[in-house]
Amino acid sequence: MRWKRARKMAETRSEAGRAGKSRGPAGRAGKSRGQAGVVVEPHGVWIYAIAEHVAITPPSQLTGVGGGPVRTVGAAGLTAVAEDVALAEFGEDALRRNLEDLGWLEATARAHHHVIDAVARQGPLVPMRLATVYSGDEGIATMLAERTADFRSALARISGCNEWGVKAYAARQSQPDGAPERAAGPAGPSAGAGAAYLRRRRDELTSQKNTRRQTFASAEIIHAELSRHAAETRVHPPQAPQLTGSKAPMILNAAYLLEDERGEDFAAVVSALEGQHPGVKLELTGPWPPYSFAGTGEREELGGLTA
Amino acid sequence: MTIPASEQQATPARRHRIDADPESVERGLVSLVLTIVELLRQLMERQALRRVDQGTLTDDQIEKIGWTLMSLEEKMAELRDHFGLEPEDLNLDLGPLGPLLPYD
Amino acid sequence: MDSRPEVEPALVPTAVIRHRPPPEPATRAERPAIRTERIALVDLLDRVLAGGVVVSGEVTLSIADVDLVTVSLRALVTSVSTLARSGAGPEVPGR
Repeated sequence: MRWKRARKMAETRSEAGRAGKSRGPAGRAGKSRGQAGVVVEPHGVWIYAIAEHVAITPPSQLTGVGGGPVRTVGAAGLTAVAEDVALAEFGEDALRRNLEDLGWLEATARAHHHVIDAVARQGPLVPMRLATVYSGDEGIATMLAERTADFRSALARISGCNEWGVKAYAARQSQPDGAPERAAGPAGPSAGAGAAYLRRRRDELTSQKNTRRQTFASAEIIHAELSRHAAETRVHPPQAPQLTGSKAPMILNAAYLLEDERGEDFAAVVSALEGQHPGVKLELTGPWPPYSFAGTGEREELGGLTA
Repeated sequence: MTIPASEQQATPARRHRIDADPESVERGLVSLVLTIVELLRQLMERQALRRVDQGTLTDDQIEKIGWTLMSLEEKMAELRDHFGLEPEDLNLDLGPLGPLLPYD
Repeated sequence: MDSRPEVEPALVPTAVIRHRPPPEPATRAERPAIRTERIALVDLLDRVLAGGVVVSGEVTLSIADVDLVTVSLRALVTSVSTLARSGAGPEVPGR
């Protein structure tokens, strides 16, 4: 049976793949494809997203994470957007290596998103998380048949909607000089300097606490207001400054599910809110395919991602 | 969509990939050490302020503690400077628990 | 959702009032111009790695099992913020 043989080949390929070096994006267009663009090495099938049956026709020139053409797999009234990929690069062991290579990860993430984004223009689409690979179409069809109800309810929920992301940052206060002020004088405790230092620090801590409280209150108000305009919302953990490259702390990181044509209105609301809350800076991104709304709201956290 | 428990795979043992660049390893260790020192400094400072507020310290004790903490803050600034670290570099992200030190 | 006219309420069940048949590709509304041309890597990774539907593939375990904490935290953080700041790489339209 074809599936079993593909699996056996996959295992053999995994062994070989571990020994060889991982191929970066440059090697992707290489020898794995025959003349008709058909993958001849042991391959799996990467899936991008799930749509309603026959609602989706991937543009013929659309290429995906493996450089190959994007196609569909239909079953149970649903369509999976898919691509044949070489297991040398996308098999289990290869993926574990490659996912730790940030260059590879970035290229693959962008390609994954690009396909989803391109196909989403044609109709409601439930995006798959990165790196879901099947050994063949039969496995995909089985999965679709098993999960029909889940996918249908997700599709109904997101139909006609996009995701918009809003991140809020505490507007940067002017930072006091790191070095403490100290009156020139002899070394050693001078009268009052220590007590004065403690008074100064108490004032600073109190003021910081007040600012922080105010900022978080603003974030809550902003999120409540934005939520009024959205069909659904998801609140994500704030991203660490090291990841965002911004020194200002992030106080809100949320996703809002909006009907397609409401994006401009939403942007205006975001602008207005920023004006109303001087301690807060807002950043709007979108429209996104509804990544954050593919599930019912129980978001699986990846420990390292937001660190 | 919820995944049946039977299909949720157990998390594999965590491998740790060491960054081989010696300079960045050293910098990593330095900023880790200084982060801990900074944490202790902030804790001591808050403790001291609490005791001042409680009125359990004499003026002389207040002066000495304040002066010590002030010197400590100066020393931290010097150390950061020496290693080319910004105050924001001294922090640890505890994932779901948030950052170790407050951002401001 | 309050000022918009209802879409044929007699035909659309109230509970799923947002559900309309997918528009023909040619007439689907153009996305608003607010979309960012340059998607920040941190936002993208957040979505494709922690968003989207999770199912177990056959060849691979779902990415929930590929524990990103195995990557050296500092290396990842440094690399991501470096990539983000340098604006490295054009967006890959597909290869």
